[in-house]
Amino acid sequence: MGGTIISNRIRQLRFENGELTQQQLGQRIGVTRQTLNAIELGKYSPSLEAAFRIAEVFGLPLEQVFQYKSLRGPK
Amino acid sequence: MPFREKSAWVTLFAILLVFALFVLHAPRLSHPTPGDFHALLACIGAFVVIETVAFLVLRLRYPEDARTPIDEREQLINLKATRLAARCYVVGSFLAVLTLHHGASANMIGYFIVLAFVIAEVVKYSARIVYYRRGA
Repeated sequence: MGGTIISNRIRQLRFENGELTQQQLGQRIGVTRQTLNAIELGKYSPSLEAAFRIAEVFGLPLEQVFQYKSLRGPK
Repeated sequence: MPFREKSAWVTLFAILLVFALFVLHAPRLSHPTPGDFHALLACIGAFVVIETVAFLVLRLRYPEDARTPIDEREQLINLKATRLAARCYVVGSFLAVLTLHHGASANMIGYFIVLAFVIAEVVKYSARIVYYRRGA
């Protein structure tokens, strides 16, 4: 089983949306500032529900906020 | 540092302190006395007091953090740490029962099971701290 990398543009989107702080965004989606920081840094992959909530805050589809890259090569 | 990581540090130190006091005051496992049992009860009482006071101090110092509901990452951290602790407790208890075959008395086995429980709790709170530090 190969590993995966889930990256995201949350930090960039926060600054493009009125310089939202991690605390403010965390409150809007129901997670702590520390959890949002872990998500931004790629240390923690959020649940699908939390990922959708984050995308909803920015008014973007999920794939424009989170990017999935498989470490396995193409078959 | 998140509020729940601070709580984990407090609990870890409280467990280590109280258990160290117990070991210092009731070291004669091979010849236990009723006083040892009373020392164990006193340690449990001391632990409850330390935890309650420390938790109240933390709540008063960080009221905003204390009110924040637990989120999905913190739930995951708790579950992973508890799973690890449960395994330690099962293994420890099994080893404690095995000492029966090496001539351990019922009292000694009881104390070994308490030891397994303490180790499991130390593992649980240490694991929580590590997971908080690592991200999840």
